[in-house]
Amino acid sequence: MNIKASGLKRILFTVVIALVIGAVLILMIGENPIEAYQALFKGAFKGKFGFGNTVATFTPLLLTSIAFAVAAQAGAFNVGVEGEVFLGGIAAAYIGVNFTFLPKPILLITCFLGAMVVAGAWATIPAVLKAYYGVSEVCTTILMNTVAVYITSYLVSGPMSAGTANAQSHSVAVNLPQFMKPSSANVGVFIAIVIVVLVAIMLYKTKFGYKIRVVGTNPAFADCIGINSKKVFINSMILSGAIGGIAGCIEVLGVHGYFLNNFAVGLGSNGMLAALIARSNVVLTPFLAFFLSILKAGAMGMQQSTGVPKALVDTIIAIFIIVATMETLFEFKKKIKRKVKKEKGEAKA
Amino acid sequence: MSEYVVEMKDIQKSFGSVKAVKNGFFTAKKGEIHSLIGENGAGKSTMMKLLFGMYPIDEGEILINGNNTDKLTPKIAIDHGIGMVHQEFMLVGELTVLENIILGFEPQKGLKIDFDAAKKEVKKYIEQYHMDIQLEKKVNQISVGEAQRVEIIKTLMRGAEIIILDEPTAVLTPQEAQHLFKILMNLKKDHKTIVFISHKLNEVMNISDRISVMRQGQYIDTVEKGNTSPLELTKLMIGREVFLNIDKTYSKAGKTVLEVEDVWIPSQKETSKIRGMSFHVNEGEIVGVAGIDGNGQSELVEAIIGLREVEKGSIKLSGKNIANKKTRAIRKSGLSVIPEDRNTQGLNREMSIADNLAAVEMDRVPYSKGFMIRQEAIVQNAKEKVEAFDIRPDDYNLPTSSLSGGNAQKVVVAREVSMDNKLLIAAQPTRGVDIGAIESIRNSLEKAKKEGTAVLLVSAELEEIISLSDRIIVIHEGKITGEMPADEANENNLGLLMMGGTHE
Repeated sequence: MNIKASGLKRILFTVVIALVIGAVLILMIGENPIEAYQALFKGAFKGKFGFGNTVATFTPLLLTSIAFAVAAQAGAFNVGVEGEVFLGGIAAAYIGVNFTFLPKPILLITCFLGAMVVAGAWATIPAVLKAYYGVSEVCTTILMNTVAVYITSYLVSGPMSAGTANAQSHSVAVNLPQFMKPSSANVGVFIAIVIVVLVAIMLYKTKFGYKIRVVGTNPAFADCIGINSKKVFINSMILSGAIGGIAGCIEVLGVHGYFLNNFAVGLGSNGMLAALIARSNVVLTPFLAFFLSILKAGAMGMQQSTGVPKALVDTIIAIFIIVATMETLFEFKKKIKRKVKKEKGEAKA
Repeated sequence: MSEYVVEMKDIQKSFGSVKAVKNGFFTAKKGEIHSLIGENGAGKSTMMKLLFGMYPIDEGEILINGNNTDKLTPKIAIDHGIGMVHQEFMLVGELTVLENIILGFEPQKGLKIDFDAAKKEVKKYIEQYHMDIQLEKKVNQISVGEAQRVEIIKTLMRGAEIIILDEPTAVLTPQEAQHLFKILMNLKKDHKTIVFISHKLNEVMNISDRISVMRQGQYIDTVEKGNTSPLELTKLMIGREVFLNIDKTYSKAGKTVLEVEDVWIPSQKETSKIRGMSFHVNEGEIVGVAGIDGNGQSELVEAIIGLREVEKGSIKLSGKNIANKKTRAIRKSGLSVIPEDRNTQGLNREMSIADNLAAVEMDRVPYSKGFMIRQEAIVQNAKEKVEAFDIRPDDYNLPTSSLSGGNAQKVVVAREVSMDNKLLIAAQPTRGVDIGAIESIRNSLEKAKKEGTAVLLVSAELEEIISLSDRIIVIHEGKITGEMPADEANENNLGLLMMGGTHE
């Protein structure tokens, strides 16, 4: 409990610093920061459209942040969530467009399953390369993101193209209902919340979760007590990929209704950011994801009612990243110091 | 000026909370070969790295040629004529031997490097000491022995008068080692001072003039080679401790539980570290494995518990072959392990005492049911174990990283001993543990034996082996050099076998 409390404090601290620096920037362009922030929060919460937008932004972020966190719990740094969102999206779109012979509820489930399988399979590649060949998953997942984006781009411009001016697929035959029109908030948000709750239970209450945490903290110990650390590592990457796939599926079925080229750019990295700030704690991560969503969704409102441009929010997020990474840096430094000390201590005579 | 070119007095050095060197003392005379010996972790390398200025000393003083040097760095050390050949060579694989040797102080001719002058200079050393080096080859194409000679020339080119070699023969074949010794003798004739770090006694006896012994960070003694014997050196290296008395019961040994037959096991660096080892452990007996650290003990244990492949031969647990099986399967068929490295393999330091105590059986009843973990059972188990094994502090929610060495080890022992398995492997069970915990851990092993468990005890403490075991096998360089009942064993006959001698 202690650890969680201090984690929460740290996060609040980070948020405040980012907002204060943002305020200074607003002052520098000659606007009133308090008014600007008021407008921002109004934009994010006021009315169906405002809050709906926040919810719509929150849904994929929540999933991508949890996807990153799950992999991180097993010791993997999965930068590939974004690629997994794209591939999950394209798989859902393909099934949703072509498998129309299935009854609607079953088609819906099939879309989700298809997205999870394709995205999970994609995540298996870097996982196996890391576990058995020692290839850094950071490199492979970054590279594979580009590959994933181009695969989907090719598909919606070619074989799966609807023939419109924008590269996009045909409309899918099944949708997730939107409930805060005119925003694109849809029932996907509940699916996402359920998944996060399930993941949290899985991590802290089940055998599989225990194994993930053991492998993430000490793989040598895992091997010694009979947990196959490589297998657990790979499985957690697959799970991470599958969750990314679900995010893609929800975006396609709930927001757009078809696969739109490049629809998920930034989803993976923003989710990763939320998870990194929360140190991949699955309980804290959702709050961070929500905070980022407020900033993103409220930006438009701020621009309309004050002279502060929307881009300022990106600046605040960037500052947020810098402050958060600095902290991670401190932590990292401490870790390295500890490691060095340990190694020196073990320096053989 | 005193007769010594190097004097190190009252040296202390800690890394974090670990005292690597407690009262280091070392002297070297001009033109001698001085060996520094001791077991792994005795502080030999650390002492010499301090002399070479790689770390600053905490306490004490270092005199080089009579001058007090309080702020040593490798650069200053080199200026004082000290050179060091590290265990890991510091060479650039993609450059040629010649380029490597002159790296950092290349002779210049205008703007270009004067390779001819460099070659001439290097050739001088090669001929003088019969080095046998091919200067034009790239370093990654030459043998380990040759790379080592390159390192030696590097130190000579930088003006070294005192050359430190850190376990130089560990990576060499016997022939290459002979070649190295010849070079060292030539260097000695030239009045260079050689510091030779090793734990191989035959080599030390072969080439040294004087020998200094360290044990657990402490300076023990310096002896003239002529006045000592391998046996005496072994005693100095291993030392005696308080003799902890355990009521040893000679139970009648029952059925064979562990049967190792002609196994060959590779190590990290070499194939066949263990070559053709056979032995067995019966129900209700403790078999001790004695040997100087690094003679294959770790590899043997890892192979039995399924963490290292077995090249050939069979390992049977209750008649079932477990060689090259998965750890999980071997554990299920009745194996408990107290691993050598408590902090990485024995415990998950980030998790609680309770979680660590249940770790091995987490996927069995009562700790889990179906997919779910049952926290009550884990807590219940933790309460019992913490009390039964006197683990302090008794707050089982604390991470094990907050425990002292002894209490942390008690967590491992509590977990492994309580599973009532047929076989218990205890690797260095009391290493780095306080006296109180030693006693408690040894009693746990003795109790397990009484209850019919077959125990394989691997320890670097001869005293521990002798006082706990029923039967002792001695290994040297991956082979069994002797086997005897514990009541026939003493430090002399075991020590001799540990050095590769034969049973009288």
